[in-house]
Amino acid sequence: MMALTRRQFVKASASGLAALGLARAGFWFAPSLPYASVKVANLANLEVGKPVYFSYPDARSQAVLVKLGTRAIGGVGPDRDVVAFSASCTHMGCPLQFKNGRFVCPCHYSMFDPAKNGEVYQGLATEFLPQIPLEVVPQSGDVFAKGVEGLIWGRVSNLLG
Amino acid sequence: MSLYNRRDELPIPPADAETHTTVCQYCNVGCGYNVYVWPVGRMGGKKPNENAFGVDLTQPQPPLTGLSYTESMHTTVTKKDGRQYHVVVVPARDSEINRGDYSTRGGTNALTAWSETRGTRERLKYPLLRVGDEFQVVSWKTAFQVLSGVIKGVLDRYGPEELTAKAFDHGGGGGGFENNYGVGSLFFTGLGMKYVAIHNRPAYNSEVWGSRDRGVHELNYSYEDARLADTIVLWGASTFETATVFYIEHMLNNFKGATVGEKKAAFAEGEPAEPARMVVIDPRKTSSVTIPQSIDASRVLHLRPNLGTDYVLANALARIIWEKGWHDESFIQTRTDLATFEDYKRKSLKLYQPLDEVLSEAETITGISREAMEKAAAWIAKPKAGGHLRRSLIIYEKGMIWNMKNYDQIASVVQLAVLTHNIGRPGTGCGRQGGHQEGYVRPPYPGDRPPPNVDKYIEEGHGKFYWVIGTDPYLSTPNSQYFKKRIHARTQALTEALSLHHGRGGEPGDPEALVERILEALDVTDGLFMVVQDLYLTHVARDAHLVLPAAGWGESDITSINCNSRLLRLYEKFMDPPGEAKPDWWIMAQTGLAIAQRYREEGREQDAKRFEFGKNWKTPEDVFLAGAREFPDNRVSEADEATLPAECYKGIDYAFLKKVKLKGIQTPVRIDPKTGKPVGTKRRYVYRFGTPDGKFKWYGTDDWEGYPEEVAKYFEGERKSRYPFWLTTGRSQLVWQTMYHDKYLPEKMLALPLPYVEIHPEDAKRLGVKSGDLVEVYNEEGNGNFMVYVSDSVKPGLIFAIMYHQRGSANNLVSGYTDPKTTIPWYKGTRVAVRKLSNGLPDLMQSASTRPVNDFE
Repeated sequence: MMALTRRQFVKASASGLAALGLARAGFWFAPSLPYASVKVANLANLEVGKPVYFSYPDARSQAVLVKLGTRAIGGVGPDRDVVAFSASCTHMGCPLQFKNGRFVCPCHYSMFDPAKNGEVYQGLATEFLPQIPLEVVPQSGDVFAKGVEGLIWGRVSNLLG
Repeated sequence: MSLYNRRDELPIPPADAETHTTVCQYCNVGCGYNVYVWPVGRMGGKKPNENAFGVDLTQPQPPLTGLSYTESMHTTVTKKDGRQYHVVVVPARDSEINRGDYSTRGGTNALTAWSETRGTRERLKYPLLRVGDEFQVVSWKTAFQVLSGVIKGVLDRYGPEELTAKAFDHGGGGGGFENNYGVGSLFFTGLGMKYVAIHNRPAYNSEVWGSRDRGVHELNYSYEDARLADTIVLWGASTFETATVFYIEHMLNNFKGATVGEKKAAFAEGEPAEPARMVVIDPRKTSSVTIPQSIDASRVLHLRPNLGTDYVLANALARIIWEKGWHDESFIQTRTDLATFEDYKRKSLKLYQPLDEVLSEAETITGISREAMEKAAAWIAKPKAGGHLRRSLIIYEKGMIWNMKNYDQIASVVQLAVLTHNIGRPGTGCGRQGGHQEGYVRPPYPGDRPPPNVDKYIEEGHGKFYWVIGTDPYLSTPNSQYFKKRIHARTQALTEALSLHHGRGGEPGDPEALVERILEALDVTDGLFMVVQDLYLTHVARDAHLVLPAAGWGESDITSINCNSRLLRLYEKFMDPPGEAKPDWWIMAQTGLAIAQRYREEGREQDAKRFEFGKNWKTPEDVFLAGAREFPDNRVSEADEATLPAECYKGIDYAFLKKVKLKGIQTPVRIDPKTGKPVGTKRRYVYRFGTPDGKFKWYGTDDWEGYPEEVAKYFEGERKSRYPFWLTTGRSQLVWQTMYHDKYLPEKMLALPLPYVEIHPEDAKRLGVKSGDLVEVYNEEGNGNFMVYVSDSVKPGLIFAIMYHQRGSANNLVSGYTDPKTTIPWYKGTRVAVRKLSNGLPDLMQSASTRPVNDFE
């Protein structure tokens, strides 16, 4: 479990904006915000089907990384099978469970396919799960979260403040 | 990386944003929603006093109890003032029906709004006239000139028998009391048309005459009953997928035990109050079965009858109940008609036949074991500890309605409920779940009963004029392959004849000359003039001569009732319709006036008057109030609510509805004789039934006669091995009806790119197919190509297909059989063959999930 402190987050936001060299004006498609790059796992420690939970983009948002064992949209690692998502159901925000290769919401039974961009294939949710783009450092195998593609439930902006 | 455009920030409605309340445009449940509209360029703040939600948006919302405002709940629209506006549509927490919850369909209400920058730009904006065999934009004036000229010409020359139509009769988006009254006024008051069919079927009928003839309207319970029931029976209804929020918020909370406190408050002193049991009667193992099973399988009973045999099962359960003495004898004596009860005892209960023999026959026919039948009978009717009557809520839907022998199926279920007094008490009721919402008010239909099959009438070459409104029969009508071919041939025959007189020349440019040419051509060919009135250029519109753009949900005020509670509410207008699109009621009224003018010009004053029904309709409320005059005097006692039509809203106006907002009022509305004020009806038939003497009328169902010839033929000779599978059809959780809006939403088209079939793993192995593969399903009626989902939802030998999809319809395969008593088709049963077409298409295999939708473990 890794948490991003408020201080780190502020620093990351500021440097993000600076890197862009401009102030944001209006809305664009996700990821559109200055997300921090945060180490969330190392490839060597991942087991197929065993989820790794972490906080991202801040301490109040649970996220989950999983090695699926089969190629996935947005997958990283040698098998292109490591993906990460917001772990809050996009329907009403319940914490999702990873079971038998997919996410199930224990509150209202929405189901999301992690190999298919977090697609809703059953249940009440309308939106796919927001996927977290990952980057792997080849030498170390460290996996970094780089942003959030889609709105985390319960927020009007993925970055609080 | 995202498969479609995503957002990670959403606009905030400012505190002074325009606000409206409305109800979801889609399913029978009728979830309440709040709408916020404000000009693009402005933005609210995150503090509670800075935004129209009144919510602290600086903090993440708490799960379940917080505000749901997701990406799909925002869009931008352009109004008539030429400015862009933000539109936000979020589920309402102060709506008792949904309590802040919403479904995957309703969650996209905002995205369905017309917008020049989204797929919904495809909305029809202007009337289109087929000129030179292609659509040309015309004015409403020209459209009404042609339309009124053709209608009057056909009416005068041949009579109303040559005028035909297929039109919505529903509530919710695009329907409602106002639009229904407009359609009914022109068709019945003005034109006296008999050859009218209701949107999803080939005739003008009730889908539940088997219940209504007994004195029981199909909407008689209230959502609270799903919270109070000891046993919830879902008969041919996959409520999780087709009435999702009703299932989750009310049925499942009861099943989980969350409503035991409410039960204790509502039940008699000392009466047991426990979490509900569920009986699901469905040939498929749907999510509506497997979800409660994943919670506590011991309280779920799943019966999977052979197709078409449900009424035999219902009667067998009734017989067991009778033998055990679990029926309510005093209720039967005092509240039901004892003369017709003899018929029921003889034909349905089969009391002249020994119990063992009856049950053994029922086992053979239905495929359900006696043990399972006895368990179901006990769960429905066995009194609870202390002798308290069990409270069972029995809800049925298309699995029963679109079954073989519609009339007997429905009658058998409602009689099972009345036998056990499972109606008119808290926690009971017996009615349909509903597909869409309701909003029916029309002058009486002038045709006979059973009504004519309008599809077959047109296929046979009758009718010269066909008006299709708010429905797409090219996808939704049964035996649709033949229907499409015939409509195409007949409309094409007229189109060709229009220029025949000039050889290779054009068609008359003057509307009056064009009308004359059309009428001449209709006289000498078997041509058909087709009008399609809808939101989009639908599948059927490809063969239309005239296309009329209709206003949709949110573009005009409408009123409707939902199905679980008959809750009447106002669905407020929050944006303008695109271009020249108009509400259906306005189009019908203007057509009437255009016809009236033609009669007046001929000095036929009496004829003109019939068509002036809408001359004073300026607002939707004018139509609503005009419709109310169709209802009888509703100044009646509480007991006499049973004498009122289920929809009766006499005494209610828009001001009343604006005041009560999402709280609404439950129809039938009465005017209380003491106070003179309108009061709603929570639960029906507490005191009497809806018959002249107030007694329930029994009916003796038919004996099992096997399958009708349209399906029985598949068991003869070589056909038996050639068509080795049963086919049944139904809906998918993810999309609404023909996907007329969903086809423009990437969330939906990515997840459900093609029409699909479910095939059992054993059959899949035999056929050499796997999930994602494409197959052709075919029989002697038609063909359809589908994507495969290998699933244990179906038993070996049974294929399930989504009934229709923007990219194809399973109704191509459905037979032309209808129940002779009601003219309702058997959509859900025929025989088919399956052959593999190809492996999964690579891009679909990458983006569409093929994971099982009924496995929650």
